[in-house]
Amino acid sequence: MEEIRIEHLSKDFDGFTAVDDVSLAINSGELFSFLGPSGCGKTTLLRMIAGFEIPRSGKILIGNTDITDIPSYKRQVNTIFQNYSLFPHMTVYDNVAFGLRIRKTPKAEIRDRVREMLALVKMEDQASKYPDQISGGQKQRIAIARALINKPKVLLLDEPLAALDLKLRQHMLIELMNIHDAVGITFIYVTHDQGEAMSISDRVAVMNHGKIVQSGPPDDIYERPISIFSAYFIGETNLITGEVIGIEEEYVQLKCSDGKDGFFEIDSTFHFPPVIGKELTVSLRPEKIAITRSKPRVQDDINMLRGTIEDILYLGTHTQYIVRVGALKFRVFSQHKRVYFDEKALDWEESVWLFWHDTDTWLIDEIPDKVLSAKEISDDGANQYQRSVKRPMPI
Amino acid sequence: MTRENKQDWSRQNDLVKKADSRRNLASWALSAPALFWLIVFFLVPYLIVVIYSFLTPDIYDVKFEFSLDAYRQAFNSAYLNTFLQSFKLAFLTTLLCLLFGFPVAYFIARAKDKTKNALLVFIIIPFWTNLIIRIFSWRIFLAYNGVLNDVLMNIGLISQPLEIMRTDLAVMLVMVYVYLPYMILPLYSVLEKLDFTLLHAAMDLGANDVKAFFHITLPLSVEGIFAGSLLVFIPSLGAYLIPQLVGNQKTLYLGQVITYKIKNIPRNWPMASALSLTLLLFVALLLFLGYMLYKHQKSRRIA
Repeated sequence: MEEIRIEHLSKDFDGFTAVDDVSLAINSGELFSFLGPSGCGKTTLLRMIAGFEIPRSGKILIGNTDITDIPSYKRQVNTIFQNYSLFPHMTVYDNVAFGLRIRKTPKAEIRDRVREMLALVKMEDQASKYPDQISGGQKQRIAIARALINKPKVLLLDEPLAALDLKLRQHMLIELMNIHDAVGITFIYVTHDQGEAMSISDRVAVMNHGKIVQSGPPDDIYERPISIFSAYFIGETNLITGEVIGIEEEYVQLKCSDGKDGFFEIDSTFHFPPVIGKELTVSLRPEKIAITRSKPRVQDDINMLRGTIEDILYLGTHTQYIVRVGALKFRVFSQHKRVYFDEKALDWEESVWLFWHDTDTWLIDEIPDKVLSAKEISDDGANQYQRSVKRPMPI
Repeated sequence: MTRENKQDWSRQNDLVKKADSRRNLASWALSAPALFWLIVFFLVPYLIVVIYSFLTPDIYDVKFEFSLDAYRQAFNSAYLNTFLQSFKLAFLTTLLCLLFGFPVAYFIARAKDKTKNALLVFIIIPFWTNLIIRIFSWRIFLAYNGVLNDVLMNIGLISQPLEIMRTDLAVMLVMVYVYLPYMILPLYSVLEKLDFTLLHAAMDLGANDVKAFFHITLPLSVEGIFAGSLLVFIPSLGAYLIPQLVGNQKTLYLGQVITYKIKNIPRNWPMASALSLTLLLFVALLLFLGYMLYKHQKSRRIA
């Protein structure tokens, strides 16, 4: 088992830079995901590892072997394609046996290994069927078996679950994890679905505009985003801009405009040296905010804000409140636990308190108007920015 | 099931039957013109041909006396040789059309949408000109002091004009030229639908370009190859115009022989009829075999 190293990899399509000087190392046996909006370059990166695209510059290494110039059919890398790409004129058995037959493996060995693979993906009894006679989930399994039978060093998965419905997707996700544990090789997984990437991966690389924005374990990316993009792309968040007005030992004080004439102060822990007077962005996850009608007890390490409920969205597992503070709008998730509060349900236009712990405010050393025009920001505060981020990135 | 239910059912059945018969009537009425056309201009003439093939030849037409002579002669060695010649021509034409047509169809299928349409128009343009005119252009092009020889002599490649016109080579050349589009179009239609990521998948699994072609592209374009081959092979078997206009008159093909039997005195219409029918049966047999092969393939997939 060897690690995969990508060094300064770039790729252009007709003047558009799809992958822009990407470097990274993937440990052997790791389940590594590339996550990003469509057009961020994740699939191009995967296709370069597979050998379907030739990079403009840079290198790809498996262990100490430079595979950049090795044609795809000689690489010890196999791919699960988005639509599985099973050969329609071959049975399930012949599909799985394809790689071995091409390499002229002895017949008896082919038979044993195909049987073993079909057992791994629980498809032993479907061997004589044709791809158009089996379901989407089954096709997915056959695609996995067809790839793994070649004993690749790396398995590449290009949005493998995108074509399945929600329940099946959740089921296959667990199965993929089990298969990964069973075979122990490196999986590289490409997806635009943050839920998939978060639940399955050892590490995730968030990509945007051909670059890796941030990489690390899923919880690291969710809890400690280093850029506005990764904070916004993974999960939901409230983004507020503020100016550093005080630095204590463990936290900084920020003065934030509410978008109208008012200001409020937020305390936040910090992970980079703050500078007085500098403008920063605060990312505040909606589920970290508590919402009550009565004023909470004042504590040192708690931030408090007063706002008005503008909208209530009942979402089953939780309710999402849109709370207006000046011209800003906060999203707050509240789970339906009645053990804490015996008050009656919150209502539209009700005045409420929002409060959260200092350590749940996360500072990002960027301000949104670096990306957006000043007008959009001033129109609707941070929320306008959120919406504009949510739009798919231009390809 | 209660009695009322049963009655209800039978009434519904009656209604369905009525609707069915009405639909049947409508479909017969709608296909009547086509049926009429086929019967009057196809079935009846063929019946006449069948009857004539069992009659006795006369110098100008036929005597109405039953005879099997025509068939007996049709299977004698001279005619068998003609059959063989025609078969060889049709086979080679099909093979060459396939060899030249496949890369062209593949190239068009993989081109960008805009280029695709332009290229398809180029394939279809020859159909805008009458076949005879196109063959005559070839005569001018290939003639002893024609365009080809002129050019070749002017650039100094040859010192003596080549004798291409009125050879078997000329026949082959023009045959391939005329029938190539009939091969390219069906091939294009299957290759256009071919999912090219399958080729990536094959290469991903260790197949180089050549292996990917033989394992994936070729088997998946079998239907196009089959359709194209039929469209080229069948008319080539009965080719008359091209051998007549550009061929030497030593190698005679079946189409020419049949025409001579009808045209030249002494006429032998029963012979011409028998040869036509033998050709027809041969083609039908080929089609039947092809169909069985196709069905076999399909049933294997379903089983």
